[in-house]
Amino acid sequence: MGVATRKKLWSSLSLGLALCLALAGCSGNSSNSSESEPSSAATNSTSAGASASPSASESDALEPITISAFIGAPQQQPTADNRIYKKIQDELGVKLNMEFLVGDLQQKLGVMIAGGEYPDLITADPKLVTAKAVIPLEDLIEQYGPNLKKHYEKYWNLMKDSSDGHIYWLPNYGAYTGDYLATVYQGPAFWIQKDILKEAGYPTPKTLDEYFKLISDYAAKHPTTSDGQPTIGFTTLAYDWRTFPLTNAPEHLSGHANDGGVVVDNGVATVFATQDIAKTYYKKLNEIYNQGLMDKEAFVQNYDQYLAKVASGRVLGMFDQRWNFEQAENELIGQNKIGQTYVPFPLTYEGVTDHYLDRPVLNLNNGFGISKDAKDPVRIIQFLDALVSEDWQKTLQWGEEGVDYLVDENGKFYRTQEQRDQQNDPTWKLANKADALWAYAPKMEGTYSDGNATGPGTQPDEFYNSLKPEDKEVLDAYQHKTWTEFFTPAPENPIYYPAWNIDLIDGSDASVANKQMTDATLKYLPKAIMSKTDQFDSVWQEYVDAYAKINVKAYEDRINSQIQWRIENWSSN
Amino acid sequence: MRTRTLRLEPVVFHLFNATVMLALAVVTLYPFLNTLAVSFNAGNDTIRGGIYLWPRIWTDQNYRAVFAGGTIYHAFWVSVARTVIATLLSLFLTSMLAYAVSRKEYVFRKPVTILIVLTMYFNAGLIPTYFLIKDLHLLNNFLVYIIPGLISAFNMIVIRTYMQTLPEGLIESAKVDGAGDFRTFFSIILPLCQPVLATVALFVAVGQWNSWFDTFLYASSKQNLSTLQYELMKLLSSASFSNTNPAVANSGAGATLQMVTPISIRAAITIVASVPILVVYPFLQKYFVHGMQLGSVKE
Amino acid sequence: MASAPKGISSNTAAMTAAPKSSIFKRMRSQKQLMLMSLPILLYVLLFSYYPIWGWTQAFQNYKPALPFSQQEWVGFKQFNFLFRDDSFLKVLRNTVGMSFINLVLGFLTAIALAILLNEIKSRLFKRTIQTISYLPHFLSWIIVTGLVANALSIDGGIINVLLMKLGFIQEPIMWLSKPHYFWGIVGASHVWKEVGWNAIIYLAAITSIDPSLYEAAEIDGANRYKKMLHITLPGIKSIVIILLIMNLGWILDAGFEVQYLLGNGVVVDWSQTIDIFVLKYGLQIGNYSLATAAGIFKTIVSVALIFAANTVAKRIGEDRLI
Repeated sequence: MGVATRKKLWSSLSLGLALCLALAGCSGNSSNSSESEPSSAATNSTSAGASASPSASESDALEPITISAFIGAPQQQPTADNRIYKKIQDELGVKLNMEFLVGDLQQKLGVMIAGGEYPDLITADPKLVTAKAVIPLEDLIEQYGPNLKKHYEKYWNLMKDSSDGHIYWLPNYGAYTGDYLATVYQGPAFWIQKDILKEAGYPTPKTLDEYFKLISDYAAKHPTTSDGQPTIGFTTLAYDWRTFPLTNAPEHLSGHANDGGVVVDNGVATVFATQDIAKTYYKKLNEIYNQGLMDKEAFVQNYDQYLAKVASGRVLGMFDQRWNFEQAENELIGQNKIGQTYVPFPLTYEGVTDHYLDRPVLNLNNGFGISKDAKDPVRIIQFLDALVSEDWQKTLQWGEEGVDYLVDENGKFYRTQEQRDQQNDPTWKLANKADALWAYAPKMEGTYSDGNATGPGTQPDEFYNSLKPEDKEVLDAYQHKTWTEFFTPAPENPIYYPAWNIDLIDGSDASVANKQMTDATLKYLPKAIMSKTDQFDSVWQEYVDAYAKINVKAYEDRINSQIQWRIENWSSN
Repeated sequence: MRTRTLRLEPVVFHLFNATVMLALAVVTLYPFLNTLAVSFNAGNDTIRGGIYLWPRIWTDQNYRAVFAGGTIYHAFWVSVARTVIATLLSLFLTSMLAYAVSRKEYVFRKPVTILIVLTMYFNAGLIPTYFLIKDLHLLNNFLVYIIPGLISAFNMIVIRTYMQTLPEGLIESAKVDGAGDFRTFFSIILPLCQPVLATVALFVAVGQWNSWFDTFLYASSKQNLSTLQYELMKLLSSASFSNTNPAVANSGAGATLQMVTPISIRAAITIVASVPILVVYPFLQKYFVHGMQLGSVKE
Repeated sequence: MASAPKGISSNTAAMTAAPKSSIFKRMRSQKQLMLMSLPILLYVLLFSYYPIWGWTQAFQNYKPALPFSQQEWVGFKQFNFLFRDDSFLKVLRNTVGMSFINLVLGFLTAIALAILLNEIKSRLFKRTIQTISYLPHFLSWIIVTGLVANALSIDGGIINVLLMKLGFIQEPIMWLSKPHYFWGIVGASHVWKEVGWNAIIYLAAITSIDPSLYEAAEIDGANRYKKMLHITLPGIKSIVIILLIMNLGWILDAGFEVQYLLGNGVVVDWSQTIDIFVLKYGLQIGNYSLATAAGIFKTIVSVALIFAANTVAKRIGEDRLI
């Protein structure tokens, strides 16, 4: 099941990151709305609420309790004497007994649900709601979770399950406080090496033509890299679940936000794979393929080979999301080949404003829920509530003051290089960070009330100190301070946004169609791009014909009905 | 003429054979040496590719990461225990069954054989099996490693086939001496089956050693039942996972050298997981002795 | 020289000496054999056969959350989905094709290796080669396919470099983008990974050959090849035939890992197997029933094949599986 395993892990990961993994294809989740009745679950919650009287809560707050938790993603077991977990045990009286996923999540959940026994805390999956494995949380939060209530206030309606209106999950990302600080850019873009920009006098390519012109000019002048390997003009990746470098560009080029496999115009979603916005792009790729600029092996290479090519500094440009090639870029930095690291550009078709950058969205269907088997739901909510206080957030994200970070005379948090480096040591982290808990618990993002960023990664000074002189040179040339400034600032998100996290019910026609579309795309796009110029149109026609045989409408209908649902239910906020 | 070919031929043949064998050894040793080299190479550097037989930037970081959690020491002994116990039990029961169905005169030979053989070709599915394990109170119980997989149809057939090549006269003469089937099995057949038993022991042991799925399904919530393979799987999946997690990546803004990557950790894990079981085979090889001197057994 | 034929003759004697009428008498005299086998059979019935009730999933729209009584029954819908899909025939062809190549290559190479190893005089050399050759078995497919992909790359892959140096090709071939090479690449990868492991079973079988047979043949003046052909090969014939019949039953199990890891959109028409299809359209989208339906289909084919093969083996007087 190795492959299935990975595929699943990634699908849950994709939601967790609030970064789209293309067609959002692999999310095999179900929230079977029609069949579930809310009544029994609701009774559960009231009885739980009634059993523990509110007044008692204060006094037994320190009564030691062991909470069992299942984390639906692979993590490493922290060491037994982990500093942060020990602090949690000492100060909150909570000992966590965490089990992490190994293998395939859907298999694990299938067996767990069939067996009908659950740990106290469990990470989100729509299957668990359908199985009535988790209890509604809204009453518990109202009564015992003031911090949580405040933390999620703006998002309350969004958190309600579309099948019965209850809140089952506490989203782990996307609830912002204070200012939203963006420094590094991890999202999609057309990337190009810094050296190319430098040589061309720091131009700003806006269209595909301008972008590929830069690449072809540079490639003509530099057929090989400084260490003698042939340069590769442009590459892409369509391996395993990592197909978005190949499939996602058209929606961005046409000025749409990242909605996965569809573009949404005026609240109506359509699959864009065979539309003109796609054809134009792939025809361009066909053109550069026939010019010899495109990597011949692009459609055959696996992920490791892709990373190796990028890490060798030979690849002049590609369309990708940064986190997907970040390892390779880190290696370039490690070799001090900063000129061969990349700058993002939001290319568009003529006359279109780019919408690459989006505002953070609430990470729905993620985070923790409390299972029906939990002995003391009140205590668990109180525990999670305590964790979203500023003090605990600082402990979880920055660490302990004086040990993991320092505070300057202006009250700004900062770290020494040594403190930064130890964060990269996996062995150290197992003993000194509570990453596994932190990743799924409700968390603050943005800034604390004292103005510090919630985590070191978004603290502006921390970011600036990590830049190399070459990076500063590029940023100065464009008069930018951060990489996100290469993009048009994100407009307000549409209410329904994003469409890619819409759940396509297990085994439904929509999910079958989604798979079939992916299959057709991966089969015909490479064929079209690698065809002779005069044959492109006929291969494209084959592709369109293949799509015509798929029940695309079932897929679009599901997306559209959920968009409508969201517009009706989320806008009342 | 004839004497010349007789003298020359063996030399040519042995040269040819040795060459083929050496070529095979090179080709089959390479992936393992490559994995070894990657496991000792700095993770970030491995991404560039081009590691063949020797690490480019030497590090023990990958191994330190594998041993970091400290959970694998206990898990190692669980693995050893399940492998040893299950192998011995399985070997005993499977060969006994094989003996029974190797007897042509046995009334139930055919139905038993068919029922056992068919198990190779179907799979009842995860969930019904889970219920059975649950009903038998084997969940989170060490015995779940031993009990469900004791009889392998494949191994039984292999042993039976071997037994059928033994001279029938051996058994007949034992019977004449008044030995029952148990005594015949233990004192005559088993000793003659050493090579095939060694083979099957290897199959069972390797299967037991490499198995992690039963831990995943039936014993995952009990840390002290965790096996080496399961701990390593955990490590591998978490390494692959955290590497694409921007939340983690963000916290380490800045160049990260010598970082552990999925490729390098996978290599280290492969070495840690396979070396203990690799030593078993050379040990078993001594049972692969040619000719059990059957010729000398008087029939 | 005498043992092999004698074994066969006494077997037939045992079979003919059993008149049907005396079955109860025979049972009474076979108490020990029954004690050796029937408890184990019960165990197998419990662990392997009892859970087969799960096959009902194939006729349901199975949801793990619901108790058995509330499952929705859908008849043959899952089978229809499986067989009616446009790609099913292609997928079936690929599965059988790759299985067949793996079967043939796997048998030939493993037997050849066992025989050649058996000819090595130096015990140390023999054991060393044997141990080395089975090492790749312990590497996971993801590692092996990674090495295969690198070896086949046009970007300095060893295969292309070698072929060009030897003058067989003018420019590098993109092996993994040629649909018709895919089965062969999968077959060769299997051989690489498993040849040493598969040979072990034959090495064990060779040890059962009576050394006096070789001595007698030598006295008769048989050369090395004659001995291989007339003593070694017949000596392992029964295990070869039994394994062949068993493996024939797995013809629809071409696996999914190698194909998934080495395949790509360009060769998908030749790389997709039944298991990949089931993974994509069943397990990955939460349709467990489809996987069960496919499993039942595979079982039916397997059982039919092994019984057919067994009958053929019986007709031509070879060893049988059952």
